[in-house]
Amino acid sequence: MPEVVVSIGPHHPALKEPVNFKVVIEGEKIVRLELDLSYNHRGVEKAAEQRDFIRVLPLLERVCGICSHAHSTAFAKGIEEIMQLEVPPRAQYIRTIIAELERMHSHLLWLGVAAHVIGFNTLFMWTWRDREAVQDTVEEMSGNRVHYGMNEVGGVRRDLTPAQVTAALERLPNLEERIKKYVDMVNSEETMLIRFRGVGKLSKEEALRYGTVGPTARASGVDYDTRKDDPYLAYADVPWNVVTDTNGDVYGRTRVRIGELWESLKIVRYCLENLPEGPIRVTAPRNAPTGEILSRYEAPRGELAHFIRTNGTDKVERVDIRTPTLANWTSVAICLVNQNLADLPVIVAAIDPCLSCTSRITLLDSQTKKTGVMSFDELIRRNRSRDQGLVRP
Amino acid sequence: MSVLREMFENLLSRPITILYPKEKVPIPGAFRGRVAITDEKCIGCSKCSLVCPARAITMIDGPREVEFNGKTLNRKKRPQVKLYKCIRCGLCERHCPTGAIFLKNELSSSGTDGEIVVT
Repeated sequence: MPEVVVSIGPHHPALKEPVNFKVVIEGEKIVRLELDLSYNHRGVEKAAEQRDFIRVLPLLERVCGICSHAHSTAFAKGIEEIMQLEVPPRAQYIRTIIAELERMHSHLLWLGVAAHVIGFNTLFMWTWRDREAVQDTVEEMSGNRVHYGMNEVGGVRRDLTPAQVTAALERLPNLEERIKKYVDMVNSEETMLIRFRGVGKLSKEEALRYGTVGPTARASGVDYDTRKDDPYLAYADVPWNVVTDTNGDVYGRTRVRIGELWESLKIVRYCLENLPEGPIRVTAPRNAPTGEILSRYEAPRGELAHFIRTNGTDKVERVDIRTPTLANWTSVAICLVNQNLADLPVIVAAIDPCLSCTSRITLLDSQTKKTGVMSFDELIRRNRSRDQGLVRP
Repeated sequence: MSVLREMFENLLSRPITILYPKEKVPIPGAFRGRVAITDEKCIGCSKCSLVCPARAITMIDGPREVEFNGKTLNRKKRPQVKLYKCIRCGLCERHCPTGAIFLKNELSSSGTDGEIVVT
Protein backbone atom coordinates (compact mmCIF):
# COMPACT_ATOMS: atom_id res chain seq x y z
CA MET A 1 0.00 0.00 0.00
CA PRO A 2 1.49 3.39 -0.90
CA GLU A 3 2.31 5.46 2.14
CA VAL A 4 2.84 9.18 2.41
CA VAL A 5 4.04 10.78 5.62
CA VAL A 6 3.09 14.38 6.21
CA SER A 7 4.16 16.19 9.33
CA ILE A 8 1.44 18.59 10.38
CA GLY A 9 0.10 19.29 13.80
CA PRO A 10 -0.73 21.86 16.43
CA HIS A 11 2.69 23.38 17.02
CA HIS A 12 1.65 25.97 19.53
CA PRO A 13 2.41 24.89 23.10
CA ALA A 14 -0.50 26.95 24.40
CA LEU A 15 -2.82 24.25 23.13
CA LYS A 16 -3.50 21.66 25.81
CA GLU A 17 -1.27 18.59 25.41
CA PRO A 18 -0.66 18.94 21.70
CA VAL A 19 -0.28 15.48 20.21
CA ASN A 20 0.35 15.09 16.54
CA PHE A 21 -1.88 12.66 14.67
CA LYS A 22 -1.33 11.24 11.23
CA VAL A 23 -4.19 9.06 10.13
CA VAL A 24 -3.71 6.88 7.08
CA ILE A 25 -7.11 6.12 5.58
CA GLU A 26 -8.47 4.10 2.70
CA GLY A 27 -11.89 5.47 1.86
CA GLU A 28 -13.60 5.69 5.23
CA LYS A 29 -11.54 2.95 6.88
CA ILE A 30 -8.51 3.75 8.99
CA VAL A 31 -5.39 1.88 7.91
CA ARG A 32 -2.94 3.19 10.44
CA LEU A 33 -2.43 5.90 13.00
CA GLU A 34 0.91 7.57 13.53
CA LEU A 35 1.55 9.40 16.74
CA ASP A 36 4.30 11.81 17.64
CA LEU A 37 4.43 11.59 21.40
CA SER A 38 7.26 13.92 22.35
CA TYR A 39 5.40 16.93 21.14
CA ASN A 40 5.00 19.43 23.92
CA HIS A 41 7.93 19.58 26.30
CA ARG A 42 7.10 21.77 29.25
CA GLY A 43 10.18 21.00 31.31
CA VAL A 44 8.20 20.26 34.48
CA GLU A 45 10.61 17.51 35.56
CA LYS A 46 13.63 19.79 35.25
CA ALA A 47 11.83 22.63 37.02
CA ALA A 48 10.95 20.22 39.85
CA GLU A 49 14.66 19.54 40.41
CA GLN A 50 15.21 23.18 41.26
CA ARG A 51 12.55 23.52 43.94
CA ASP A 52 12.56 22.25 47.52
CA PHE A 53 9.90 19.84 48.79
CA ILE A 54 7.58 22.64 49.94
CA ARG A 55 7.72 24.59 46.68
CA VAL A 56 7.65 21.61 44.33
CA LEU A 57 4.14 20.39 45.21
CA PRO A 58 2.23 23.36 43.70
CA LEU A 59 4.30 22.86 40.54
CA LEU A 60 3.54 19.14 40.30
CA GLU A 61 -0.16 19.81 40.87
CA ARG A 62 -0.06 21.79 37.66
CA VAL A 63 1.13 18.86 35.54
CA CYS A 64 -2.55 18.11 35.01
CA GLY A 65 -5.64 20.10 35.91
CA ILE A 66 -7.99 17.18 36.36
CA CYS A 67 -5.71 14.82 38.30
CA SER A 68 -3.84 17.50 40.25
CA HIS A 69 -4.32 15.66 43.54
CA ALA A 70 -2.98 12.47 41.91
CA HIS A 71 0.36 14.05 41.04
CA SER A 72 0.93 15.78 44.36
CA THR A 73 -0.09 12.67 46.33
CA ALA A 74 2.13 10.38 44.26
CA PHE A 75 5.09 12.68 44.86
CA ALA A 76 4.42 13.32 48.57
CA LYS A 77 3.85 9.58 49.12
CA GLY A 78 7.21 8.77 47.54
CA ILE A 79 9.14 11.39 49.51
CA GLU A 80 7.46 10.29 52.75
CA GLU A 81 8.55 6.73 52.06
CA ILE A 82 12.15 7.84 51.48
CA MET A 83 12.04 9.93 54.68
CA GLN A 84 10.36 6.98 56.48
CA LEU A 85 7.61 9.24 57.82
CA GLU A 86 4.52 7.74 59.39
CA VAL A 87 1.63 9.77 57.99
CA PRO A 88 -1.28 10.00 60.50
CA PRO A 89 -4.39 7.97 59.55
CA ARG A 90 -6.61 11.06 59.48
CA ALA A 91 -4.38 12.58 56.80
CA GLN A 92 -4.52 9.32 54.81
CA TYR A 93 -8.32 9.32 54.97
CA ILE A 94 -8.57 12.97 53.92
CA ARG A 95 -6.25 12.28 50.98
CA THR A 96 -8.41 9.29 50.01
CA ILE A 97 -11.61 11.37 50.15
CA ILE A 98 -10.15 14.05 47.88
CA ALA A 99 -8.67 11.40 45.55
CA GLU A 100 -12.01 9.64 45.11
CA LEU A 101 -13.93 12.89 44.67
CA GLU A 102 -11.40 13.75 41.99
CA ARG A 103 -12.01 10.40 40.30
CA MET A 104 -15.77 11.01 40.40
CA HIS A 105 -15.50 14.44 38.83
CA SER A 106 -13.07 13.14 36.22
CA HIS A 107 -15.33 10.22 35.22
CA LEU A 108 -18.43 12.42 35.12
CA LEU A 109 -16.50 14.85 32.94
CA TRP A 110 -15.41 11.98 30.70
CA LEU A 111 -18.95 10.66 30.34
CA GLY A 112 -20.04 14.13 29.28
CA VAL A 113 -17.21 14.43 26.76
CA ALA A 114 -17.90 10.95 25.33
CA ALA A 115 -21.57 11.88 24.95
CA HIS A 116 -20.56 15.16 23.34
CA VAL A 117 -18.38 13.56 20.67
CA ILE A 118 -21.19 11.22 19.61
CA GLY A 119 -23.52 14.20 19.43
CA PHE A 120 -25.57 13.31 22.52
CA ASN A 121 -25.26 16.76 24.07
CA THR A 122 -28.23 16.28 26.39
CA LEU A 123 -26.28 13.74 28.43
CA PHE A 124 -23.26 16.05 28.33
CA MET A 125 -25.29 18.79 30.02
CA TRP A 126 -26.71 16.40 32.63
CA THR A 127 -23.38 14.88 33.66
CA TRP A 128 -21.68 18.25 33.88
CA ARG A 129 -24.53 19.55 35.99
CA ASP A 130 -24.15 16.63 38.40
CA ARG A 131 -20.41 17.08 38.41
CA GLU A 132 -20.99 20.45 40.06
CA ALA A 133 -22.13 18.67 43.23
CA VAL A 134 -18.74 16.93 43.41
CA GLN A 135 -16.89 20.14 42.56
CA ASP A 136 -18.77 22.05 45.29
CA THR A 137 -17.80 19.40 47.85
CA VAL A 138 -14.14 19.61 46.85
CA GLU A 139 -14.27 23.40 46.87
CA GLU A 140 -15.74 23.43 50.37
CA MET A 141 -13.04 21.09 51.64
CA SER A 142 -10.00 22.51 49.90
CA GLY A 143 -10.96 26.01 48.84
CA ASN A 144 -10.55 25.42 45.12
CA ARG A 145 -12.26 23.57 42.29
CA VAL A 146 -8.96 22.46 40.78
CA HIS A 147 -5.44 22.54 42.25
CA TYR A 148 -6.71 21.68 45.70
CA GLY A 149 -3.41 22.27 47.50
CA MET A 150 -4.30 19.70 50.13
CA ASN A 151 -1.00 17.85 50.24
CA GLU A 152 2.28 18.56 51.85
CA VAL A 153 5.10 16.20 52.67
CA GLY A 154 4.04 14.66 55.99
CA GLY A 155 0.27 14.97 55.72
CA VAL A 156 -2.44 17.33 54.57
CA ARG A 157 -2.65 21.09 54.95
CA ARG A 158 -6.29 21.47 55.91
CA ASP A 159 -8.47 19.51 58.30
CA LEU A 160 -12.09 18.59 57.61
CA THR A 161 -14.53 20.22 60.02
CA PRO A 162 -17.63 18.28 61.16
CA ALA A 163 -19.76 20.77 59.18
CA GLN A 164 -17.86 19.97 55.98
CA VAL A 165 -18.25 16.23 56.58
CA THR A 166 -22.01 16.61 57.13
CA ALA A 167 -22.41 18.80 54.05
CA ALA A 168 -20.51 16.26 51.93
CA LEU A 169 -22.54 13.33 53.27
CA GLU A 170 -25.78 15.20 52.51
CA ARG A 171 -24.81 15.55 48.85
CA LEU A 172 -24.08 11.84 48.38
CA PRO A 173 -27.67 10.36 48.25
CA ASN A 174 -28.58 12.68 45.37
CA LEU A 175 -25.40 11.76 43.48
CA GLU A 176 -26.08 8.08 44.12
CA GLU A 177 -29.49 8.42 42.52
CA ARG A 178 -27.97 10.19 39.52
CA ILE A 179 -25.31 7.51 39.03
CA LYS A 180 -28.05 4.85 39.10
CA LYS A 181 -29.74 6.72 36.26
CA TYR A 182 -26.52 6.76 34.25
CA VAL A 183 -26.10 3.01 34.72
CA ASP A 184 -29.63 2.61 33.31
CA MET A 185 -28.95 4.97 30.43
CA VAL A 186 -25.72 3.33 29.34
CA ASN A 187 -27.29 -0.12 29.36
CA SER A 188 -30.54 0.79 27.63
CA GLU A 189 -30.11 3.99 25.61
CA GLU A 190 -30.05 3.07 21.94
CA THR A 191 -28.00 6.13 20.86
CA MET A 192 -25.14 5.10 23.09
CA LEU A 193 -25.37 1.38 22.38
CA ILE A 194 -25.14 1.94 18.64
CA ARG A 195 -22.15 4.23 18.87
CA PHE A 196 -20.27 2.42 21.65
CA ARG A 197 -20.77 -1.30 21.06
CA GLY A 198 -18.08 -3.05 19.05
CA VAL A 199 -16.17 0.20 18.50
CA GLY A 200 -12.45 0.27 19.25
CA LYS A 201 -12.13 -3.33 20.38
CA LEU A 202 -9.06 -4.29 22.36
CA SER A 203 -8.60 -7.90 23.43
CA LYS A 204 -7.15 -8.86 26.80
CA GLU A 205 -3.92 -10.07 25.16
CA GLU A 206 -3.52 -6.79 23.26
CA ALA A 207 -4.28 -4.76 26.38
CA LEU A 208 -1.51 -6.60 28.21
CA ARG A 209 0.94 -6.51 25.30
CA TYR A 210 0.63 -2.75 24.78
CA GLY A 211 0.78 -1.97 28.48
CA THR A 212 -2.58 -0.26 28.88
CA VAL A 213 -3.57 0.91 32.34
CA GLY A 214 -6.64 2.07 34.19
CA PRO A 215 -10.19 1.81 32.84
CA THR A 216 -8.87 0.98 29.35
CA ALA A 217 -7.16 -2.17 30.64
CA ARG A 218 -9.97 -3.09 33.03
CA ALA A 219 -12.54 -2.84 30.22
CA SER A 220 -10.58 -5.55 28.39
CA GLY A 221 -10.79 -7.85 31.39
CA VAL A 222 -7.37 -7.11 32.92
CA ASP A 223 -7.93 -7.16 36.67
CA TYR A 224 -5.32 -4.55 37.54
CA ASP A 225 -5.83 -1.65 39.90
CA THR A 226 -2.99 -0.14 41.94
CA ARG A 227 -5.39 0.63 44.74
CA LYS A 228 -6.01 -3.10 45.20
CA ASP A 229 -2.70 -4.61 44.06
CA ASP A 230 -0.39 -2.23 45.92
CA PRO A 231 -2.65 -0.50 48.47
CA TYR A 232 -1.69 2.99 49.56
CA LEU A 233 -3.48 5.77 51.51
CA ALA A 234 -6.54 4.26 53.21
CA TYR A 235 -7.56 1.83 50.45
CA ALA A 236 -6.53 -1.25 52.45
CA ASP A 237 -9.07 -0.39 55.19
CA VAL A 238 -11.98 0.45 52.91
CA PRO A 239 -14.26 -2.26 51.48
CA TRP A 240 -14.51 -1.81 47.72
CA ASN A 241 -14.27 -3.84 44.50
CA VAL A 242 -12.26 -3.51 41.31
CA VAL A 243 -14.62 -2.94 38.35
CA THR A 244 -13.77 -4.95 35.26
CA ASP A 245 -15.61 -5.69 32.04
CA THR A 246 -15.15 -8.20 29.26
CA ASN A 247 -16.45 -6.17 26.32
CA GLY A 248 -13.13 -4.50 25.54
CA ASP A 249 -14.74 -1.78 23.43
CA VAL A 250 -15.84 1.78 24.12
CA TYR A 251 -19.04 0.38 25.66
CA GLY A 252 -16.93 -1.65 28.10
CA ARG A 253 -14.86 1.39 29.02
CA THR A 254 -18.03 3.38 29.70
CA ARG A 255 -19.36 0.58 31.91
CA VAL A 256 -16.08 0.41 33.85
CA ARG A 257 -16.06 4.16 34.45
CA ILE A 258 -19.67 4.22 35.60
CA GLY A 259 -18.96 1.25 37.87
CA GLU A 260 -16.01 3.15 39.29
CA LEU A 261 -18.22 6.17 39.97
CA TRP A 262 -20.31 3.87 42.11
CA GLU A 263 -17.29 2.41 43.92
CA SER A 264 -15.78 5.86 44.48
CA LEU A 265 -19.00 7.03 46.03
CA LYS A 266 -18.90 4.05 48.40
CA ILE A 267 -15.27 4.81 49.34
CA VAL A 268 -16.01 8.50 49.96
CA ARG A 269 -19.00 7.63 52.13
CA TYR A 270 -17.03 5.05 54.14
CA CYS A 271 -14.10 7.45 54.67
CA LEU A 272 -16.35 10.34 55.71
CA GLU A 273 -18.27 8.16 58.16
CA ASN A 274 -15.16 6.52 59.61
CA LEU A 275 -12.82 9.51 59.64
CA PRO A 276 -10.30 8.75 62.43
CA GLU A 277 -9.44 11.40 65.02
CA GLY A 278 -5.94 12.70 65.50
CA PRO A 279 -3.35 14.97 63.92
CA ILE A 280 -3.42 15.71 60.19
CA ARG A 281 0.33 15.93 59.61
CA VAL A 282 3.75 15.21 61.01
CA THR A 283 6.62 17.64 60.70
CA ALA A 284 8.82 16.57 57.82
CA PRO A 285 12.59 17.08 57.95
CA ARG A 286 14.01 19.60 55.52
CA ASN A 287 16.29 17.12 53.73
CA ALA A 288 15.53 13.66 52.42
CA PRO A 289 18.15 10.90 52.67
CA THR A 290 19.70 9.47 49.52
CA GLY A 291 17.35 7.01 47.90
CA GLU A 292 15.28 5.94 44.91
CA ILE A 293 11.61 5.16 44.83
CA LEU A 294 8.88 4.37 42.34
CA SER A 295 5.68 5.81 43.73
CA ARG A 296 2.58 4.34 42.10
CA TYR A 297 -0.89 5.86 42.23
CA GLU A 298 -4.16 5.00 40.54
CA ALA A 299 -5.14 8.27 38.89
CA PRO A 300 -8.62 8.56 37.28
CA ARG A 301 -7.14 7.64 33.89
CA GLY A 302 -4.96 4.79 35.10
CA GLU A 303 -1.76 4.04 36.88
CA LEU A 304 0.45 7.07 37.44
CA ALA A 305 4.10 6.51 38.35
CA HIS A 306 6.54 8.99 39.83
CA PHE A 307 10.15 7.83 39.89
CA ILE A 308 12.00 9.91 42.46
CA ARG A 309 15.73 9.95 43.21
CA THR A 310 16.98 12.02 46.15
CA ASN A 311 20.55 12.89 47.07
CA GLY A 312 20.40 14.00 50.70
CA THR A 313 19.43 17.61 49.96
CA ASP A 314 16.10 19.41 50.16
CA LYS A 315 15.53 18.92 46.42
CA VAL A 316 15.05 15.87 44.24
CA GLU A 317 17.91 14.84 42.00
CA ARG A 318 15.51 13.40 39.42
CA VAL A 319 11.77 13.03 39.13
CA ASP A 320 10.31 11.12 36.22
CA ILE A 321 6.58 11.21 35.65
CA ARG A 322 4.84 8.48 33.63
CA THR A 323 1.28 9.59 33.07
CA PRO A 324 -1.52 7.10 32.29
CA THR A 325 -2.39 8.79 28.99
CA LEU A 326 1.13 8.05 27.72
CA ALA A 327 0.71 4.38 28.58
CA ASN A 328 -2.63 4.21 26.79
CA TRP A 329 -1.70 6.03 23.57
CA THR A 330 -0.26 2.98 21.84
CA SER A 331 -3.47 1.04 22.40
CA VAL A 332 -5.38 3.75 20.51
CA ALA A 333 -3.26 3.06 17.43
CA ILE A 334 -4.23 -0.63 17.71
CA CYS A 335 -7.94 0.06 18.37
CA LEU A 336 -8.26 2.33 15.36
CA VAL A 337 -7.17 -0.14 12.68
CA ASN A 338 -10.08 -1.05 10.36
CA GLN A 339 -12.47 1.29 12.17
CA ASN A 340 -14.53 3.99 10.52
CA LEU A 341 -13.01 7.44 10.46
CA ALA A 342 -16.22 8.72 12.03
CA ASP A 343 -15.56 6.56 15.11
CA LEU A 344 -12.12 8.06 15.68
CA PRO A 345 -13.19 10.79 18.16
CA VAL A 346 -15.02 8.39 20.42
CA ILE A 347 -12.17 5.83 20.37
CA VAL A 348 -9.64 8.51 21.20
CA ALA A 349 -11.98 9.92 23.84
CA ALA A 350 -12.40 6.46 25.35
CA ILE A 351 -8.91 6.54 26.86
CA ASP A 352 -9.76 9.94 28.34
CA PRO A 353 -6.97 12.11 26.96
CA CYS A 354 -7.19 15.86 26.74
CA LEU A 355 -9.21 16.15 23.58
CA SER A 356 -7.69 19.42 22.51
CA CYS A 357 -4.75 17.21 21.50
CA THR A 358 -6.71 16.29 18.43
CA SER A 359 -7.36 19.87 17.46
CA ARG A 360 -5.90 19.19 14.01
CA ILE A 361 -5.47 15.91 12.19
CA THR A 362 -3.67 15.09 8.97
CA LEU A 363 -5.73 12.96 6.66
CA LEU A 364 -4.23 10.78 3.99
CA ASP A 365 -6.34 8.98 1.46
CA SER A 366 -4.11 6.12 0.36
CA GLN A 367 -5.95 5.65 -2.96
CA THR A 368 -6.13 9.21 -4.20
CA LYS A 369 -2.96 10.21 -2.26
CA LYS A 370 -4.78 13.35 -1.20
CA THR A 371 -3.72 14.91 2.07
CA GLY A 372 -5.32 17.62 4.09
CA VAL A 373 -5.90 18.98 7.53
CA MET A 374 -9.23 18.52 9.26
CA SER A 375 -10.18 20.66 12.22
CA PHE A 376 -11.60 18.92 15.24
CA ASP A 377 -14.97 20.63 14.76
CA GLU A 378 -15.17 19.33 11.23
CA LEU A 379 -14.36 15.82 12.45
CA ILE A 380 -17.08 16.05 15.08
CA ARG A 381 -19.55 17.21 12.41
CA ARG A 382 -18.61 14.27 10.21
CA ASN A 383 -18.98 11.99 13.20
CA ARG A 384 -22.45 13.29 14.02
CA SER A 385 -23.72 13.00 10.48
CA ARG A 386 -23.47 9.24 11.02
CA ASP A 387 -26.12 9.48 13.72
CA GLN A 388 -28.82 10.54 11.29
CA GLY A 389 -29.04 7.08 9.78
CA LEU A 390 -28.76 5.34 13.15
CA VAL A 391 -27.67 2.11 11.50
CA ARG A 392 -26.15 -0.58 13.64
CA PRO A 393 -22.57 -1.10 12.47
CA MET B 1 -36.91 5.42 27.99
CA SER B 2 -34.86 6.58 30.94
CA VAL B 3 -33.74 9.57 28.84
CA LEU B 4 -37.34 10.57 28.05
CA ARG B 5 -38.33 10.35 31.71
CA GLU B 6 -35.32 12.45 32.67
CA MET B 7 -36.26 15.05 30.04
CA PHE B 8 -39.76 15.44 31.43
CA GLU B 9 -38.44 15.69 34.98
CA ASN B 10 -36.12 18.45 33.86
CA LEU B 11 -38.93 20.28 32.08
CA LEU B 12 -40.76 20.57 35.38
CA SER B 13 -37.76 21.65 37.43
CA ARG B 14 -36.18 25.08 37.76
CA PRO B 15 -32.92 25.96 35.95
CA ILE B 16 -29.84 25.16 38.00
CA THR B 17 -27.66 27.91 36.52
CA ILE B 18 -26.72 30.75 38.86
CA LEU B 19 -27.09 34.09 37.04
CA TYR B 20 -23.72 35.29 38.28
CA PRO B 21 -23.62 39.07 38.41
CA LYS B 22 -27.21 39.27 39.68
CA GLU B 23 -27.03 36.31 42.06
CA LYS B 24 -23.96 35.85 44.19
CA VAL B 25 -22.04 32.57 44.08
CA PRO B 26 -21.52 31.22 47.61
CA ILE B 27 -17.82 31.41 48.52
CA PRO B 28 -16.68 28.57 50.80
CA GLY B 29 -14.81 29.32 54.02
CA ALA B 30 -11.62 27.66 52.82
CA PHE B 31 -11.53 29.75 49.64
CA ARG B 32 -8.11 31.11 48.71
CA GLY B 33 -8.56 34.62 47.34
CA ARG B 34 -6.59 37.85 47.20
CA VAL B 35 -3.45 37.96 49.34
CA ALA B 36 -3.35 40.45 52.22
CA ILE B 37 -0.77 41.47 54.83
CA THR B 38 -1.35 42.79 58.35
CA ASP B 39 1.73 44.96 58.78
CA GLU B 40 1.60 45.28 62.58
CA LYS B 41 1.79 41.48 63.00
CA CYS B 42 4.71 40.85 60.62
CA ILE B 43 8.06 40.12 62.30
CA GLY B 44 10.00 40.13 59.03
CA CYS B 45 11.18 36.50 59.20
CA SER B 46 11.18 36.05 55.35
CA LYS B 47 9.59 32.57 55.58
CA CYS B 48 6.82 33.56 53.16
CA SER B 49 9.26 34.65 50.49
CA LEU B 50 11.24 31.39 50.89
CA VAL B 51 8.25 29.07 50.45
CA CYS B 52 6.52 31.01 47.65
CA PRO B 53 6.51 28.69 44.60
CA ALA B 54 5.97 31.57 42.17
CA ARG B 55 8.67 33.75 43.77
CA ALA B 56 6.05 36.50 44.02
CA ILE B 57 7.13 37.72 47.47
CA THR B 58 10.17 39.94 47.95
CA MET B 59 11.36 41.37 51.24
CA ILE B 60 11.69 45.16 51.23
CA ASP B 61 12.87 47.59 53.91
CA GLY B 62 10.26 48.18 56.56
CA PRO B 63 11.75 48.86 60.00
CA ARG B 64 9.18 48.68 62.79
CA GLU B 65 8.81 47.54 66.40
CA VAL B 66 6.57 44.45 66.60
CA GLU B 67 5.11 42.65 69.62
CA PHE B 68 5.64 38.88 69.38
CA ASN B 69 5.18 36.37 72.23
CA GLY B 70 5.29 39.17 74.79
CA LYS B 71 8.60 40.50 73.48
CA THR B 72 9.24 43.58 71.40
CA LEU B 73 11.20 42.86 68.22
CA ASN B 74 12.91 45.31 65.94
CA ARG B 75 12.08 44.05 62.49
CA LYS B 76 14.01 45.26 59.47
CA LYS B 77 12.12 43.82 56.48
CA ARG B 78 8.55 43.40 55.39
CA PRO B 79 7.08 41.37 52.49
CA GLN B 80 5.80 42.78 49.23
CA VAL B 81 3.67 40.54 47.01
CA LYS B 82 3.37 40.95 43.26
CA LEU B 83 -0.37 40.48 42.94
CA TYR B 84 -0.55 39.03 39.43
CA LYS B 85 2.40 36.70 40.00
CA CYS B 86 0.65 35.14 43.01
CA ILE B 87 -0.87 31.71 42.28
CA ARG B 88 -2.89 31.73 45.53
CA CYS B 89 -1.57 28.39 46.77
CA GLY B 90 -1.69 29.60 50.37
CA LEU B 91 1.77 28.32 51.34
CA CYS B 92 2.74 31.74 52.80
CA GLU B 93 -0.31 31.64 55.04
CA ARG B 94 0.51 28.06 56.06
CA HIS B 95 4.12 28.88 57.04
CA CYS B 96 3.64 32.36 58.56
CA PRO B 97 4.41 32.11 62.30
CA THR B 98 2.20 35.08 63.25
CA GLY B 99 -0.64 34.95 60.72
CA ALA B 100 0.41 38.29 59.26
CA ILE B 101 0.13 37.20 55.63
CA PHE B 102 -3.11 35.52 54.61
CA LEU B 103 -5.52 34.97 51.74
CA LYS B 104 -8.81 36.80 51.95
CA ASN B 105 -12.21 35.40 51.03
CA GLU B 106 -12.69 37.83 48.18
CA LEU B 107 -12.01 37.17 44.51
CA SER B 108 -8.68 38.23 43.14
CA SER B 109 -8.45 39.71 39.67
CA SER B 110 -5.88 38.60 37.12
CA GLY B 111 -3.76 40.59 34.73
CA THR B 112 -0.32 41.14 33.29
CA ASP B 113 0.74 44.31 35.08
CA GLY B 114 3.79 43.27 37.10
CA GLU B 115 3.93 46.56 39.03
CA ILE B 116 0.80 46.03 41.10
CA VAL B 117 1.92 44.98 44.56
CA VAL B 118 0.34 44.24 47.92
CA THR B 119 2.28 45.37 50.97
